Amino acid sequence: MFEWLDYEFMKRALVATSILSFSVAPVGAFLVLRRLSLAGEAMAHAIVPGIVIAFVIAGLSVYSMIVGGLIAGVSVALLTSFVARKTIIREDASLASLYLVALALGIFILSASGSAVPLKSFLFGSILGIDDETLILIGVTATITLISFALILRPLIVSTIDPVFYESQTQKPGFIGQWFMFLVVLNLIGAFKALGTLMAVGLMILPATAARYWVSTITSYLLLTFLLALISSWAGLIISFYASEVPSGPAIVLVAGAIFIFSLLFGPQGLRLSIQSRKASLKTNQETLSKTVTNSPEIAD
Amino acid sequence: MLLEASELALGYAGEPLIQSVSFQVEPGDVLAVVGHNGSGKSTLAKTLLGVIPPLGGALNWPQKRPKTISYLGQRTEFDSRFPLRVRDLAAMGAWHGLGFLGHLKKGKTGGRDPVQEAMERTNIAHIADYPLHVLSAGQLQRALFARTMVQDAPLILLDEPFTAIDQTTEAQLLDLIDDWAAEDRAIILVLHDLSAVLQHCNKALLLGNGRALYGSPREVLTPANLVSHGYISASQATWMEGMYSDKSDEPTGQTKAKDLSNV
Repeated sequence: MFEWLDYEFMKRALVATSILSFSVAPVGAFLVLRRLSLAGEAMAHAIVPGIVIAFVIAGLSVYSMIVGGLIAGVSVALLTSFVARKTIIREDASLASLYLVALALGIFILSASGSAVPLKSFLFGSILGIDDETLILIGVTATITLISFALILRPLIVSTIDPVFYESQTQKPGFIGQWFMFLVVLNLIGAFKALGTLMAVGLMILPATAARYWVSTITSYLLLTFLLALISSWAGLIISFYASEVPSGPAIVLVAGAIFIFSLLFGPQGLRLSIQSRKASLKTNQETLSKTVTNSPEIAD
Repeated sequence: MLLEASELALGYAGEPLIQSVSFQVEPGDVLAVVGHNGSGKSTLAKTLLGVIPPLGGALNWPQKRPKTISYLGQRTEFDSRFPLRVRDLAAMGAWHGLGFLGHLKKGKTGGRDPVQEAMERTNIAHIADYPLHVLSAGQLQRALFARTMVQDAPLILLDEPFTAIDQTTEAQLLDLIDDWAAEDRAIILVLHDLSAVLQHCNKALLLGNGRALYGSPREVLTPANLVSHGYISASQATWMEGMYSDKSDEPTGQTKAKDLSNV
């Protein structure tokens, strides 16, 4: 039953995705809370030109890809927040404009240089071939991410829930958002080699949206997000071990997707609540209506 | 004196919205800021907080600028779907003083939990563990007042705190503001309810049509001034003057106040 534990590549994959789950869970949780879920997806595309340029110059090296991806991602993130704060368009529109330019630029450079990038592993990762370099990259990413969250969690919460209050209480209102976007980019690069640009976002967002249906405090939310990411990773890996035709990235994301749908249907704050509260609000409306009718002479006074 | 504004010019990007704003704030003052939409009330609040710089004039803090100024803005960007309980929202008032990893100290309230204390005074202790998204507008505003209390600031800015709030809640929160003033905190209150201004504020600043008028509420908020600063129309003023001239005949201040709130 546990024969998958005998294989070296499975052990590596389990370690890699466990550490990744620790790291991407809080990032995904705050992407959802800050209403930036799609921005995470966009950022995954925004790092493409940096990675492509690094690939064209230095070949398939983890370190050059980190540097290239970070430069591209951070530039797009900084430009996005700069454009959103200084001009009339909002952050989502500003990001959508910039990441499309970045993506087009990446593909343009790739085609012009005539290089052949392994597109499938680019999109879906190659979690079954994780080398030492990638493991170290994931470890460093997780360390930086968790230390950062320990430090910025409070201002991050305040700036997410009440940006106007946050702005009134700090000298550098833009800093927390920029640091958070840096963490997003860092985690996308950390997950890029293992899960691919498409699947990395899945492991960030799906556990975070699923967890939101079960809990209503921030601590339990962050813990549950991590737990669901971990379950998705392990279950996905084991599925892909037995169904050897299925790549691990999509298998992991499909498990996360199944958890999301289950949570949507059965979570205390999912559809169940929405149906209950609709019934309740219908009832209240009727009560209010009858009260209004009874009280109407007073209102006329 | 806590704060002195002299000949302030306020606005964004070098374009003054309003000129010559002068006023003084002492500990224990409740200063009402009254003005039509777009008259510069929120801009004044942002300038006092240091979010935007004044375009002219001087903002003096005779002692020192307080480490923290409490601010309760309009709730347009507030996200009540955030997974947080009422007590966490109230505790948020303390984060600025706590830094990254500090814990809430109980010393100041004689060993009592300041968050619990604030929730009891704002009458939300019984819903302390409710998530924010189930709260009514009034309950949420009480929670935000609790946050303001926990912040324990010498100067409190409240920007239209009673929008979409029922009369009972408003009355209770106004009493709380009176208590804060009695504790020698200064409160600057942006308000449209003139009866509340007359009852609870000892100073008034009328903004409108690019000008400012400062003094006691009864001096400043006369029908003539309200018209000249674009706050009410001439016909409303005629009606209001009738109310003022009836003053001696009024049995209680309450009735007059109620009628004025319809202006």
